[in-house]
Amino acid sequence: MFSSFSSFYEKARNKEIVAGLTLISIAVVLNLVFGYFAMFFAFYLSFFKWDYIGEMQFVGLQNFEIVIRDLIRGLHGAPYLLVPFYTGLKNILLYTLIVVPIQTFLAIVLASFANQKIRGQQFFKVSYFLPATTSSVIVALIFIWLFMKNGYINYVLVHVIPGFEPVDWINNKDYLLFAIATVAIWGTSGHFMVSFLAAMQAIPREIYEAAMLDGAGPIRRFFFITIPMLRPMITYVVVMGLIGALQMFDLAWIMAGANGGPGGAGYTVALDIYNEAFTRIRPGVAAAKSWFLFAIIFTTTYLFQKKYGRAMR
Amino acid sequence: MKKVLAGGLLVFVLLLAVVAAGCIGGGGQTGTQTPATVTETKVKTETKVETQVQEKVFVRFAGWSAGETEMKNYEKMIKAFEEQNPNIGIKYEVITQMFHENILASYGAGVAPDVFYVDSAWAPIFIDKGALYPISDLADQSFIDQFYPFLLEPFMKDGKLYGLPKDWSMLALFYNKKLFEQAGLTRPPETWEELEEYAKIIADKTGKPGLAIYLGGFNRYVPVAVSNGAPKPWFEKPEDASWFDNPAVKETLTWYIDLYRKGKTERENQGLTPYVVQPSDVGAGWLGDAFGQQEVAMVISGNWMIPFLADQFPDFKYGEDWDIAPVPAGKEGRVTMVYTVILGINAKTEHPQEAWKFVEFLLGPEGQKELVVKGGQTLPSIKGFENDPDMWPQHKKTLSFKYDQMIVFLWGPKSGPLEGKFSDAMAAAMRGEMSVDEAIEVMKQVVQEELSS
Repeated sequence: MFSSFSSFYEKARNKEIVAGLTLISIAVVLNLVFGYFAMFFAFYLSFFKWDYIGEMQFVGLQNFEIVIRDLIRGLHGAPYLLVPFYTGLKNILLYTLIVVPIQTFLAIVLASFANQKIRGQQFFKVSYFLPATTSSVIVALIFIWLFMKNGYINYVLVHVIPGFEPVDWINNKDYLLFAIATVAIWGTSGHFMVSFLAAMQAIPREIYEAAMLDGAGPIRRFFFITIPMLRPMITYVVVMGLIGALQMFDLAWIMAGANGGPGGAGYTVALDIYNEAFTRIRPGVAAAKSWFLFAIIFTTTYLFQKKYGRAMR
Repeated sequence: MKKVLAGGLLVFVLLLAVVAAGCIGGGGQTGTQTPATVTETKVKTETKVETQVQEKVFVRFAGWSAGETEMKNYEKMIKAFEEQNPNIGIKYEVITQMFHENILASYGAGVAPDVFYVDSAWAPIFIDKGALYPISDLADQSFIDQFYPFLLEPFMKDGKLYGLPKDWSMLALFYNKKLFEQAGLTRPPETWEELEEYAKIIADKTGKPGLAIYLGGFNRYVPVAVSNGAPKPWFEKPEDASWFDNPAVKETLTWYIDLYRKGKTERENQGLTPYVVQPSDVGAGWLGDAFGQQEVAMVISGNWMIPFLADQFPDFKYGEDWDIAPVPAGKEGRVTMVYTVILGINAKTEHPQEAWKFVEFLLGPEGQKELVVKGGQTLPSIKGFENDPDMWPQHKKTLSFKYDQMIVFLWGPKSGPLEGKFSDAMAAAMRGEMSVDEAIEVMKQVVQEELSS
């Protein structure tokens, strides 16, 4: 097979195209099968009732109706156990509102520190980026220890803030989501820092020099040169952050458990889709829910990009 | 990676489908060269008879694993089986997490294993959909008669039997003898009220909580309700939610939930040692861990705790340091919960006879002697081992307890999802997020919703 391909390659008129297509073919095939085919199959599945074993049964829009009813009942204040999708959606929106701005801001700050000519900055760059190279499951497991009632975070807080009472972060419904958000911010800021660092190094030095001649201090240079010049990168990071946050699964799965932990505080839409598909055995409803999630992600990122995504230069 | 998750996780099903297609498609045509044209004629005449007889059949067997020992024991048994049956090969696949979810997904993709574990709580889903091969069509009645009849009941439907249990466990009270002595207690508690009283005495006298329970855990609450006169829970249609209206159910549920609220929350507010805790309150992962670390004096747990204690806490000795007693009794008698797992045969298997041969080998007297009795993981599901010299004394003692009712973990066709939601509601009430009445209302609505349509 290999020899026949190489003779085909020798005879090919445009070698670059053949080589290029061959090199990307694996990625393209994987993307077609696991990306697009899965997506369209999920759409198809959302009109069916199925239990994996028997025949698929066409039910029209019934699966979507289940999701909408869930949302309406949630808005009327039903207990969280009865409205899993609403609970997951509410949590995930709050989580996104916390995580995305903070991680973006933190990434810019870290990047501008890393961009200074200070001795040993390479060390800081590496240590900021390290969380991004670690498995999120391991990170979550370690943070569970840190967040325990007699864990390290409480220990530090008790000594730093006078009169602080230790909080059971993971087992208290008021704090669980914030604990998860903290881990997410810790884990992703370093990753986005690298993006910002690359963008910062692409900013022409002359602009800074001109500003310095005009007497702009470091803070004004940061706000009036760095931030505006970073705008395309900020849009990119926010969009990626939005997608990641709205789909959050791994951290909630480990830190809160499949049922979302106390009071369902750590329940997310992705967890609900999983539960619907594999514990309640309603893959059709799960597919309908994933299309809802897709619609939410698509509209938010589309609107954001439309508003801020236009190139500056 | 995250994109894949958003696709609705159904990608997983597809992944299996692709793998399956690969397996099926790639099976036959790998050896394309034909160098043996000359010698072929010679060989053919000699081996023709043998190849027809020895066409090897492969049976895929999937299970989860309760630890390394279990896996090693199964591998040993598979080896022995393959030696006895040279024409059958066994492919052992261990799925460590989300076992039933995985099996269901593999059904969706058409690549389900031939033989696999099924927990009693999941059995109805498999049986109702026709996923399991009726064992009664394969096994002799005399083979089936060896098993404890109450273990078979959950796997019967329309006169057919769909699975034979590989082993079983039942709840018992584990108590720490040294802490009992320190508290001046001489015997294990007999009733539920006494259990709470003992827990309080132990906390006051030793400074360690008397009892550890799980927050939620509907299956741990059921023996309390039934022993106090509630009917056995069964949820098959939306109207079955009325089980929660039974006064015995309401009363015992309030007692069970208050156990934690009074024993932990209220006691701590008064500045006293809590007498009821959950494992994480004492820095333990589960009941067995809390008990083994001797952080609590009593837990109600199953036989799976015994090999764990023997393995993890060798200095904490059965008989000297701890002992087991029957689950406390209620007003109407003594009730315990039974947990069992069958070896199910895939209804769509291509080799039902071979699969059955393997199941018969594992579940028969010799197989259970090796796997269950000597291994000491759990209790053997066939009768006659009660006085076996190889039986661990702890398991022997559990078997000697007399109960008025033994309830197998199964509350109708949707036991698995219901158990999870009930437990969530109970946990919320125990944490004080909702009242007992609200929790009951939620559980009723859960029943109505899960079972309607």
